[in-house]
Amino acid sequence: MFDFLIQGFDVALTPLNLGLAFAGALMGTLFGALPGIGPINGIAILMPLAYTLGLPAESALILLAGIYTGAEYGGRMSSILLNVPGDAGAVMTTLDGYPLAKKGMAGPALGLSAVSSFIGASIAILGLTLFAPLLAKFAVMFGPAELFVMMVFAFSSMAVMMGKDPIKTAIGAVLGILIGIIGVDSGTGVLRYTFDLPELYDGIDFVVMIIGLFAISEILLMLESRHNPAGEAEMPVVGRVLVSMKEVLFCKAAMLRSGLIGFLIGVLPGTGASVAGAVSYTTEKRLSDTEGTFGEGDMRGLAAPEAANNASAAGAFVPMLTLGIPGSGTTAVLLGALMLYNITPGPMMFTEHADVAGGLIASLYIGNLVLLLLNLPLAGLFAKVLTIPRWVLVPAIAVLSFVGVYQLHSDLSAIYLMLVIGVVGYLLRKLGFSLATVILGYVLGGLMEDNLRRALSISGGDLGILWQSGISIGLWVASVVILIGPWLWGRVRRSMQA
Amino acid sequence: MMRAADRILGIALLGLAAFVAVQAQSFYVPFSYDPVGPKAFPVGLAIILALLSLVLILRPGPNGQWPSAATCCRLVGVLVIMGVYALLFTRLGYTLSTGLAILCLARSFGASWVKALVTAVVMAVVTYFLFSDVLEISLPSGQWLTALS
Repeated sequence: MFDFLIQGFDVALTPLNLGLAFAGALMGTLFGALPGIGPINGIAILMPLAYTLGLPAESALILLAGIYTGAEYGGRMSSILLNVPGDAGAVMTTLDGYPLAKKGMAGPALGLSAVSSFIGASIAILGLTLFAPLLAKFAVMFGPAELFVMMVFAFSSMAVMMGKDPIKTAIGAVLGILIGIIGVDSGTGVLRYTFDLPELYDGIDFVVMIIGLFAISEILLMLESRHNPAGEAEMPVVGRVLVSMKEVLFCKAAMLRSGLIGFLIGVLPGTGASVAGAVSYTTEKRLSDTEGTFGEGDMRGLAAPEAANNASAAGAFVPMLTLGIPGSGTTAVLLGALMLYNITPGPMMFTEHADVAGGLIASLYIGNLVLLLLNLPLAGLFAKVLTIPRWVLVPAIAVLSFVGVYQLHSDLSAIYLMLVIGVVGYLLRKLGFSLATVILGYVLGGLMEDNLRRALSISGGDLGILWQSGISIGLWVASVVILIGPWLWGRVRRSMQA
Repeated sequence: MMRAADRILGIALLGLAAFVAVQAQSFYVPFSYDPVGPKAFPVGLAIILALLSLVLILRPGPNGQWPSAATCCRLVGVLVIMGVYALLFTRLGYTLSTGLAILCLARSFGASWVKALVTAVVMAVVTYFLFSDVLEISLPSGQWLTALS
């Protein structure tokens, strides 16, 4: 049953892949630590360069997964030290992390968060190893109809869980799907929404899309917050970064619970680190905040969201590898990266591409250990990254974006397109959209349409095939429950109070 | 003001939905085994989008803060810098266009002339060798160089 893992370690332990896991962890932590650059931006900026190295699929994925998990680690730095979350997943970390740093305990806070990140990620990677092959065996039974309904479910859970406004989340996903439709229709050869521009016949390139959406819009946002006082806040002294066993033991229950919560939320398609952090923090506050110390610098209030957001990062790989449906915006980007290698993740991943799936999982074990070893002694050094001024950071992002897009086809039109998408991304962010939903729509839309059309080809156009099997009925029910459940629950609670 | 932004967005999206649906009518497939064809999916999405935008128009919510006029000017400025950078990228070649772009970007993010100039020279040269020699990306060398030789 665990043959794939043994095979995976064979792949991951080659000197090249070991080096890539290490490099990915290091770069990811650095990028995550940069204020405003979360995992998704980090991967968006670094992915094109990873391609130019001409790596095989499994090595590229190991590098990108290292960057992803590393960035989840790095995101906590600015949360704790500056009260500015490095990415959406680290918002909850500020609540108790920053008060700890203000009390002069920045070092222990960084150390403890590294340990809880490690424990949370370990729980989730174990979960991934155990459940992914089982789920893959089950998912083999999924036909095109079931996969289509599964994606309906993914979008439903995303609309409810991601972002503040379900309507805008849904609109973002639809916009993403529409952007994905642009180009030649693979089924019939019809050109759709290309406006007679030959540059658009192949659709909007994935790399152009993510760099425009995340890197360029980030540059514009940074310009706006230049005079944000938080950006120039005094850096607290980091001090000793080692944690004592006593502090770790004090938080062990919080870490274990939050790791589990984070994993489960990560597995749920469409919900990512930010939800995991929020749910685990509120759970922990309810369970252990007997003296009202949460929010004032309680160690457990720091350990919980950190364990959870790193756990959700690993958990998000479960649906991505077994169903081909990413569990978060960042895994959507990784999915797109895999598809560039002509590998479509899905239930056959563990049999047909066991080296890729196993190698990835094995590299997560290695990367997690590397991250802990890097982060305890080097946290002080990583914290220095926070002091990089905007006027160095922004030109660097711009140059990386330009070269990343230019090297695709040595084509300037792609760069102009990237700038246009960047402006759109900026506007969407200002209007309160979450860009992760747009990228999920963009990546999943094509698969959704393919599966719908395949299902209806099988049935000869009869829509009934979409709710014929038990699996699809179950998924329809689950989608409805998740869509109206929270609303119903709110009404019931209100009427009970009244 | 905030709510107005959502209303405008809703109307714009309604227009987009109409455009998507109307355009889809022109996708003509002479013969296909596929009972769905290329039309159905975009039309379905357009209907969903139209419904969602109606909700947005009727129940607009608050959204983020909009930048001041001065910030808007700076935003446009940075966009112009990047647009001109793209325009000059192949014409002037990588090092020169990148150096100029870094200089302007660093200036608009508050660096002094000296700091911006040093950043521009160092970053343009270092990244040139990093990209072309280490990562083996072919970068534009610029038309003025070929004109000289």
